[in-house]
Amino acid sequence: MRRLTDIICVFRIQLMSMRAEAGPFFLAALVFPAGMYLFANAVGGVEAAQNQSRLRFLAGSIVFSLSLTSISWLGYLLLENRFTGRLKLFATLPLAPSSYILGFLGFAFVQAALGTTVLVLIGRILGVVMRPSLPLLTLVVMLTVLCLCGFGVIIAARARSFTEGSLLTDALGAGLVFLAPVYYTPETMPQSLRIVSQFLPTTFAARAVRTTLTGGHQIGSDALALGIMAVVTLALGFRMTKWRED
Amino acid sequence: MVTGETLLEQEQARGTGQILDRTEPVAVRVRGLVKRYADGTEANRGIDLDVRRGELVSILGPNGAGKTTFLRQLSTELRPSGGSIEMFGMNAVSAPQRVKQMMGITPQEAGVFGSLTVREHFELFGRLKNLSKVEASAATREIIRSLGLVAETGKRVGSLSGGQRRRILIGLALLGRPPLLVLDEPTTGLDPSSRLAVWGVIRRAVTDGATVILSTHYMEEAERLSDRIGIIAQGRLIAFDTLDELLSRLERSYRLSYRDPLDPFGELCVHYFANFNEAREQVAVAQLSEYSIARASLEDVYFTLTGEHFAPGEAESA
Repeated sequence: MRRLTDIICVFRIQLMSMRAEAGPFFLAALVFPAGMYLFANAVGGVEAAQNQSRLRFLAGSIVFSLSLTSISWLGYLLLENRFTGRLKLFATLPLAPSSYILGFLGFAFVQAALGTTVLVLIGRILGVVMRPSLPLLTLVVMLTVLCLCGFGVIIAARARSFTEGSLLTDALGAGLVFLAPVYYTPETMPQSLRIVSQFLPTTFAARAVRTTLTGGHQIGSDALALGIMAVVTLALGFRMTKWRED
Repeated sequence: MVTGETLLEQEQARGTGQILDRTEPVAVRVRGLVKRYADGTEANRGIDLDVRRGELVSILGPNGAGKTTFLRQLSTELRPSGGSIEMFGMNAVSAPQRVKQMMGITPQEAGVFGSLTVREHFELFGRLKNLSKVEASAATREIIRSLGLVAETGKRVGSLSGGQRRRILIGLALLGRPPLLVLDEPTTGLDPSSRLAVWGVIRRAVTDGATVILSTHYMEEAERLSDRIGIIAQGRLIAFDTLDELLSRLERSYRLSYRDPLDPFGELCVHYFANFNEAREQVAVAQLSEYSIARASLEDVYFTLTGEHFAPGEAESA
């Protein structure tokens, strides 16, 4: 019960902080991904007219939104806490480092829910035909958020400076999307990149999101891969986040 | 004249830091505390210290002497390389989370959440300090009033001045009336009236039974607030006693300060004498027309023990 209160308090602190930072959040979670959807449609030519391609672009934009909010934005907030001394404030409290991270994860889920819902609605308005399986879509989004947040937590814990950390989170937030077959098919990618992309969480996430948007249920292997990656990255992130210096 | 080095040796030989009256309950017991950083720097070299319950102890020392390292280890932020720290009988090194439940901490450099209002900040951190909603709300009102922040209650913390933010950090440490306060330079950057307000709050906490350990650069702060004063130099606790006891250790307790009449813009000369007449004799011998003779203060003890010298600016204000 005590732990839950701690997690909720950390979550509320971040949520309240968002009042002053709603603009950048909407840019990262909605404007850029929606813009990318329109851009992909515009350059897609004849292929873009097919609903299958539009679904791929929409799924790509949802993953782009998750990546920007979970790695870039959340990583930025964690870095800001660390390098502006706010983390010290938490460290003075009888609060477990894991409660601090879990509070952040709760905040990330809210952001992801908001971003994904709005993007699905935008897709509908723009005429994308879909039959989303909401429970499975929720599961995939949660696994993706956990996995990507793990990267943000690791970078925030290990970065030697705020500049280094924010550069890394920005690069990874966008890079993981553009190195994976998110907006285009794997066949159009260079061979070397295709091999790399097979191991990226965004590849699994985009495929699973696309499947759930069409009402499909065959997400087992993608969900498993995302789950394993989430466990690994978060375990590392939890381990690296310490209140106490040696 | 007694040099800083000689006194340092004397203090080390006396094993300063351990309380003499063993009947008083001890709140904090530090033994052989050593902090060695990865680059080999030894910031604390075997500090022994006992702090009684309800006592206010100030830690003084030059920059880089190891004060902040010492306080960071007490607040469990930094893991000691050797030695032990006990707080209310609990091992602070092996059970940091447990001892933090009994501590209010103001780190030297901590940030606040600029987008929260003052009230939100206190209430949320009160909840994180295990207070119920009602308790957190009541504690918030009390702290805001005692720190003179009533007019700022609904304002965003980001819109406040540096001094007001520093007061918020001190208030966060006081939330929930913890039995032990560890405050690292709590009043640095505060204007005189804010400093007085903070002194009042800290003293009130002690009156209510709290034990306080604070570091400071302000001699006046140490003199006015402390029950006992510790001086750290080169990583060692070279003195730890009441102000009167520290002053009585000076063999020459009268200070004569003057400037060379032929070089009025030169460095301030400071000499110590055993009594007032000796100082007057020196004035006559040197044919000084502008000088000052004063009883020794904590500042003199500090400079004598640490071997530091008066900086021209400091000397003028002294």
